[in-house]
Amino acid sequence: MNKKNNVLSKFNNQKFIVLLVVIALFIFFSIMSPNFRKYTTVLSILDYSYYIILMAIGVTFPLITGGVDLSIGTGLICYSLAGGYLIVHCGWPTWAGMLVSVLFGVLIGLLNGCLVSLMNLPPFLATLCTCMITRGLGSLCSKGFGIPWPTAGTEGSWFRNIFKITVGETKYPIGFIWMILLVIVMGFVLNHTKIGRYTIAIGSNKEAAMLSGINVKFYHTMAYVISGFFAGLAAIAYSAVFATVQPGSGAGFELEAIGGAIIGGVSASGGVGSISGSLIGVFVICLLKTGLPYIGLQANWQQIITGLVLIGAVLVDILKKKKAVK
Amino acid sequence: MGEVILTMKDIDKSFPGVHALDHVSFEVQKGEVHALMGENGAGKSTLMKVLTGIYTKDSGSIIFEGKEVEFHNAREAQDAGVVIVHQELNMLGHLTVAQNIFIGREFKKGIKIDDKKMNEEAKKLFDKLNIDIDPTETMSNLTVGKQQMCEIAKAISHDAKVIVFDEPSAALTEAEIQELFKIINDLRKQNLGIVYISHRMDEIKVITDRVTVMRDGTYVGTLITKDCTKDDIINMMVGRVIYEDPKSKSMVAPDAPVVLKVEHLNAGKMVQDVSFELRKGEILGFSGLMGAGRTETARAIFGADPKQSGKIYVNGKEVTINSPEDAVKCGIGYLSEDRKRYGIVVQKTVAENSTMAFLENFVKGLFIDKKAEKDIAQKYVDSLATKTPSVDQLVVNLSGGNQQKVVIAKWLVRDCDILIFDEPTRGIDVGAKNEIYKLMNKLAEEGKSIIMISSEMTEILRMSDRIVVMCEGKKTGEIGIEEAKQETIMNMATREIK
Amino acid sequence: MKKKVLALLTSVALVATMLTACGSESAGSKGSGDLNFEIIVKSYQSSYWQAAVTGVNQKAGELGVKVNCTGPNAESDIADQVNMLNNAINNKPDGIGLAACDQDACLDSLQTAMDAGIPVVCFDSGIPNAPAGSVLSTVATDNYAAGATAADNLYAALKDTIASATAPVRVGEVNQEATSESITSRGLGFIDKFTELAKADGKSVAVIGNEYFVNNCKEAGSEADADIIIEVAVPAQTTVELCATAAATILNKDDTIGMFGSNQVAAEGILSANENLGVLGTTPGETILAAGFDAGSVIKSAIKGGTMYGAVTQSPLAMGQTTVETLYKIANGEKVSDIPTQGYWYNADNMEDASIAPNLYD
Repeated sequence: MNKKNNVLSKFNNQKFIVLLVVIALFIFFSIMSPNFRKYTTVLSILDYSYYIILMAIGVTFPLITGGVDLSIGTGLICYSLAGGYLIVHCGWPTWAGMLVSVLFGVLIGLLNGCLVSLMNLPPFLATLCTCMITRGLGSLCSKGFGIPWPTAGTEGSWFRNIFKITVGETKYPIGFIWMILLVIVMGFVLNHTKIGRYTIAIGSNKEAAMLSGINVKFYHTMAYVISGFFAGLAAIAYSAVFATVQPGSGAGFELEAIGGAIIGGVSASGGVGSISGSLIGVFVICLLKTGLPYIGLQANWQQIITGLVLIGAVLVDILKKKKAVK
Repeated sequence: MGEVILTMKDIDKSFPGVHALDHVSFEVQKGEVHALMGENGAGKSTLMKVLTGIYTKDSGSIIFEGKEVEFHNAREAQDAGVVIVHQELNMLGHLTVAQNIFIGREFKKGIKIDDKKMNEEAKKLFDKLNIDIDPTETMSNLTVGKQQMCEIAKAISHDAKVIVFDEPSAALTEAEIQELFKIINDLRKQNLGIVYISHRMDEIKVITDRVTVMRDGTYVGTLITKDCTKDDIINMMVGRVIYEDPKSKSMVAPDAPVVLKVEHLNAGKMVQDVSFELRKGEILGFSGLMGAGRTETARAIFGADPKQSGKIYVNGKEVTINSPEDAVKCGIGYLSEDRKRYGIVVQKTVAENSTMAFLENFVKGLFIDKKAEKDIAQKYVDSLATKTPSVDQLVVNLSGGNQQKVVIAKWLVRDCDILIFDEPTRGIDVGAKNEIYKLMNKLAEEGKSIIMISSEMTEILRMSDRIVVMCEGKKTGEIGIEEAKQETIMNMATREIK
Repeated sequence: MKKKVLALLTSVALVATMLTACGSESAGSKGSGDLNFEIIVKSYQSSYWQAAVTGVNQKAGELGVKVNCTGPNAESDIADQVNMLNNAINNKPDGIGLAACDQDACLDSLQTAMDAGIPVVCFDSGIPNAPAGSVLSTVATDNYAAGATAADNLYAALKDTIASATAPVRVGEVNQEATSESITSRGLGFIDKFTELAKADGKSVAVIGNEYFVNNCKEAGSEADADIIIEVAVPAQTTVELCATAAATILNKDDTIGMFGSNQVAAEGILSANENLGVLGTTPGETILAAGFDAGSVIKSAIKGGTMYGAVTQSPLAMGQTTVETLYKIANGEKVSDIPTQGYWYNADNMEDASIAPNLYD
C-alpha cells in the first residue's frame, strides 16, 4: 500500500510534469513546422544536447548541496582547448587528450571544492572566480587559437563515433544511450551511495550533517569534483559534435545546464533533486533552442522564453514548499 | 543508581574576553537523571560542548568509565558512547527517518547503501522504545515531537552510555513530554547516565534525581531533587527569589472599551470559527498546547496568512486586514515567537531595528534621518531599560531578553495600541523574563492592549487578566483570571472536540 | 545581465591574458625603433585573426617598430574592445591599428584619440561614421564586393536550377551578427548582387528574415510572388552551435538550393548543421550548394572533400602587414589614403594555386 503511494507520488511530481512539457513542446513544434519533424532534427537536438546534459548531471550535485557551479561553461571550453591543443599541435593520441580534458575538469572541480568547503567562500563567488580563470586559461592553453579536434574521417577522429555512428546512410545518435546510462549510474550514486546521501545531507542541513560525524568538508568538495569531472566529459562531447573549439566562448553554457537542472526539479535552495529530472529539464531548454527558430522566431526569443520557463519552474518549487509547510 | 560513569573535573575554558567555564566539576552516575541548570549564559551548553569534543578545554580532566578521555569531535564522543540530543534538532529534513538515524554509519552492500536493512534496524529500535514511527517516512513530514523521538533513537543506536538532553521539552506538547519522560525512565532503568538540561522547574522535579546548578560559568552546587524545593534551585540560579504567584484578579476595569473584536475567524485548518474580544489595558492570555492554532490565529489577524472568513473590528469599526501593512495601519503589532527569523534583523543596529516598522516617519527627502532615528531609539532603550552600550550596537550582540525589548520598541515606535506577543519569553533566561513581564504590565497600565500567546502555564497564570484556550484550531474556552486554575485550563486545552 | 557583469569582471583578467599571449609573439621586434603601435583586433576566436596578427608582427619585425596586440575574447564583446581601445589611447602610442567589432561603439574613443593626436588606421572593418580626420586610412577588404563575389560564383552554379524551377526556390544566408561593418557589408553585397543577377534573368526576388538585412538591402521584394527567396538568419550570439541551429532551420527546408555563410564562424556553423542533415554537395539541383567565407582547416577540408562548394578568402596576412606599414608611413609624415584589399573566390579546383594558397590559413 505504502509502496503504491510512493510510486504514485513519484509520478505526481515535477519531473513528470516536465516530461509532459517536453512531449508537448515536441508535438507543438512538429505541428507548427513540417521541417521540424525530421529524423535529422532529432539528431541535431541530441547532438547539441549532450554537452549540456553532461554539465547538468554534474552541476546537480553542487546544486543539491545548496551551492552552484558557474565555472562549468567556460571550463568546458578551457578543458577542450587544452586537450585539443595537445592532440592537434603536440601529436598526442586522441585518448590522451581526452584524458587531459577530464583530469583538467577534475582539477578545477577540486579547486572549487576546496574554495567552498575549506576556505568557506560562497559557492557563487568561488565558481565565478574559477569561471574567469578558466576563460583566461583556455585562451592561454591554445595560445589564442581556435582548436579543431580531428575532423571526421581523419586520423584520431574515432572519438566522434562515441556519440554518433553511421551505418550505411543512416546516422545513429548512440550518444543518447551513454547519456541514459550515465543518468542511471549517477542516479544510483545520488540515491544509494554515501557520496549521494551526504550530498543531500549537506544541502538539507550542513550543521546537522557535521554533527552526525560526516566528513562534511570532503563530501562537499566531492560535489564540486563530480561537477568538474562531468564538465570534462562535456568538453569531449562538445569537441566531438562541433568542428572547432574557440577560446572565449562557453560563458552562458553553464546557465543552460543549471536552468535545465532547476526546471527538472532541483531545488534552488538545496536538498532536493534528481539526475533524471535534470536530464528531462535540459531537453526543455534544447527543444526551445532548436524549435523556436523553426517556427520563425528570432533567436533572441529563445532566451526570453527559456527565462520565462525557468521562472515557472522556480515558482513550482516555491509552491511545492508552501504546500509542504501546510 | 550508584557507580559513577562520567566525571568532569576542574574544567576551564576561555573565549576571547569571556571566561566561559571557571573550574567546573560535574559527575553523572549510572542510572540517574542529572539535571544541569542555570540561566542562559551560565555555561551549561559550553560544558556539554567541551564534553563532546566540539570545544577543546583549556584545562581539567574528563574521566569516562574509569579512563581519562579527550574527544576531538562529535564523532569520537558518539563512538565512545557519549551522545547529545540537541536543543535545535539536527534533522536532515529531506532524508527519511532511517537514513537520519544511521547517517554517517550506513549499512552497505558493496558500494550500495542498504536502505532495507537500515529500515529494519530502525524499526527494531523504535519497537524497543515503544515508539510508533515509520522509518521510511521523510523526516520533515514528522511533528517536532516525533523528530525528537528519532533523535533519541539515534542516540540509543549509538550504544550510548551517557545521553545529554539539551532542553528537550522546549518544542514539545504536554502529551509528547509525557512520552519523553516515559522513554527517559526506561533509559534510566537500563542503567544509562542521563544529563537533562532544562529551564522548566516542574519537569526537573518530576524527572530528575539530582540537580547541578551553574551560574556565570561557575559551579554553584548539587542537590538531591526530592529533598529540595523549586525556590531552592532558583535561589541558587539567580541568588534571589523571583518565582511569583499567579495574578489574583483582573487589572482591567469592567467597563473598559473593547479595542479589538474578532468574529468567526476562519483561516485554514488551524483557525476555525474563532471569536473573542480584547479590552483596553487588558492582557489576554492565549493558552493551549503546541499546534492548537494560537500562532495561526495571530498571524491571520495580523494579515500574515490569508483568511477565509470572519470579521475584525478595531475600536468598534470593521477593518479589512489583508497584509501586515494593513494591520500596522490599524495599530496592531505582532512580536513573533521566532525573533531571529521574523522579529529583528540581527545584523542591523538597535536604532535601525527600532524604526524598521515606521521608517517612512524618519525619512527626510531621500535620506533617513539618522539623528531622529537615534533619538527615538534612545528614548525606548531608556524606557524599556534595554541593556545595550549604545543604539549603534548590532542587535546580534544583545542577549535574548534585550533583543525582545528591541522588538517591543519597534512596535511602540509605530505607536501600536494592540500588541500580540507570541511566546514572549522563549529562550530568555529567568532574570530577563521578569523584566519582560514587568514591561508588559507597564504597557497594559499605560493603556496598551496585549494578546499574549504562551505555552508556559505559569506565565499564563501570572500575566493574564483573562485567558482564551484553544485546541486543534478551535476556541475551547474563555476564563477570567479569578477562576483560572492550571487544571481547568489544561482540561480545556485537551478537550476532545466532537 | 549576469553575463554583462561577468564580461566586465573578466575583462581585466582577459586584457592581462591577451597581453601575455601577444607579447611573446611580438618579441621579434628590434628595440632600436622608437615607434610604438597599438594593434587591436576583433577577437582571438578564429585563425583569421591569428593570421592578421602574424602579418602585423612580421612587418613590425621588418621595420623595427614595437607593436602591442590586444583584442577581446569574442567578436561580440564590444564593451571589452572599447575598453581596450581606451587603454591603448592612454598608453600614448605613435599610432593605433583598429579592427572595430562595432561600427558605432568606438566613435567617442576615436574623438579622444584625435584630440590626443594619435593617428588611427582601421583594418578589416571600416568605421563609416568616424569623426572626420580621426581615421587616416582604412585597410580593408571591400566587403561589399567580396560578398558580391560569393553571389557571382554561387549564382553561376545555380543559374540552371533557378531557370528550370517550377516553384519558388530558397537561398539562405547566415550572418554571425548584424552590427559590424564587415559582416553586414558582405551580407548585403551577397544579397544585392544575387538579386541583380536574378533580375537580369527575369526572376523576382524577396529578402526575408533578419530585419537589418531586410531593411538595408536594395530591394526586399515581396515573399508572396517571388521566384527566389533569400532568407537571412542571425543567431543571438556569435557561437558555432547557435549558427548551426540557425543554418539547420534553413537547410531543412525542401526548397533550399543555396547557402552563404558570411564569415568563418557562420560557414562552420553551416557545416556543423550539415553533419546530421547531409544535404550539402556540389551538384546543383540535387544538393544544396554552400558558399563560405574565409578559410581555416575545417572549411578547407570541406571544400576539398566536396561538402562546400567554395568560399571567398581575404588576405589577413597582407592586411596585417599593410596596417603596420601604413602606420609607419603616417609616423614618418607621409600622406596615406584608404587601401582596399581584395577577396578571392576559391574552390576545390584552384585551392592549390600559388596566388590563392598563401591566403588559406589554417
